[in-house]
Amino acid sequence: MQTKKAALTSKTYDVDDFAAAQEFYHANGWTDGLPVVPATEAAVEACLEWALMPPDELIGIEPVRAQPITAEKLAINAVMAGCLPVHFPVVAAAWQAMMKEEFLLHGVTSSTGGCAILAIVNGPVRLEIGANGGFNALANSDRATAVIGRALRLALINLLDVRPGGIDRTTLGHPGKFSYCLAEDEEDTLWQPLSVVRGIPEGVSAVTVMAAMAPRQIMNEWTIDPREILETFAAEMRANQRHYSIYGGNYAIVIPKQLREHIERAGWTKRDIAEFLYERARVRRADWADVGKGAIVRDRGERIHAALESPDHLLVVAAGGPAGGFGAVIAPWMGSKTKAVTAAIGACIDCEPPKG
Amino acid sequence: MIFRVLDPTNEMTRAGGGPAARPSSLRGKTIGFISNGKEGAKSYFAQLERMLRAEFGIAHVVWRTKSNYSAPADAYIIDEIPKWDAVVTGVGD
Repeated sequence: MQTKKAALTSKTYDVDDFAAAQEFYHANGWTDGLPVVPATEAAVEACLEWALMPPDELIGIEPVRAQPITAEKLAINAVMAGCLPVHFPVVAAAWQAMMKEEFLLHGVTSSTGGCAILAIVNGPVRLEIGANGGFNALANSDRATAVIGRALRLALINLLDVRPGGIDRTTLGHPGKFSYCLAEDEEDTLWQPLSVVRGIPEGVSAVTVMAAMAPRQIMNEWTIDPREILETFAAEMRANQRHYSIYGGNYAIVIPKQLREHIERAGWTKRDIAEFLYERARVRRADWADVGKGAIVRDRGERIHAALESPDHLLVVAAGGPAGGFGAVIAPWMGSKTKAVTAAIGACIDCEPPKG
Repeated sequence: MIFRVLDPTNEMTRAGGGPAARPSSLRGKTIGFISNGKEGAKSYFAQLERMLRAEFGIAHVVWRTKSNYSAPADAYIIDEIPKWDAVVTGVGD
């Protein structure tokens, strides 16, 4: 027996052709400046069917502005971003995570500070969608991460009015605000996936979202000692503390294969890395005076600020191409005002609307 | 080929209320200032207080500062708002 599927309820508009659709979307301020895929009923329904979501399913309620986000509206934006149905469950899970209170979505998206939302994908879904955690992992590595990251931003623009000069008051921003998504290279590492480290059962797909500044690339090809390699990461974290924000928060580090193998061969786990960087990534408040911020050192010059409030706050990601002694440090937006959130994909993690 | 495309914006009405009624006059009124706590907010609100007292004849100003400049005002501040005639909150960066 066939069940009747629920109808979409969004307003519709007829446009003459593909080019007219582009001009229509741009004229309404519904894009990120790049061309979009016209969101037809068929394409949106395909996303919802793949995710087994009725159009009116509540993905969540944005806690500050009390704005409900439905599956239909999110799917429309996902289609516009270039998502196929198979990508949509990742987008939906990321949005569930973004609307958790501790993520502080309103602050993250309205701040002058200029972060983007980084999404890190783990588990079997990576293989299903063709996400590539190898070459160029933080950039245009593959279709899946490109369109998923873009969908998160387009939905912010259209569903929460996060437009530059509107809700988005960012001074500079960075290119990750177009798309900022990577998959962990789980097949080529001895380490536990990030999602497992963060409490998701092994074998379950998940996405972790973090309010993230642009990646800062490091290089150290001249040692195989894990301590020396990680000193380079620690130095970059300290640099961020001095030059951007001194306060501790969720940092992510991305360790590609060449450096990763040295650390793995020495028997270091992600936990070992986190504990090392927790100790090493610290600055004295007086260091601010060296970089032109002496006015706010005041009488607290000897105070020590750790980049990580605890080792648990470091997100270690195995990703990147096979060669090159590089890595990346991704700093948080404004310390611990926001917390990274991990959500299982295809599972209801927070079906109840937020209290209050 | 004609495309029928869907509206990507949030057409749902928000659960929250609309703006409060505006007072017809500020004379003799108590005004709450909710600062985000940033450096620039201090001088902004100081100047605003001078203007409201001199030009609009307000009686009292209550200064409050959020504990997190990126989050909504703390509950104890929200609870105080009904005691004030108007509130000014804004970005001082």
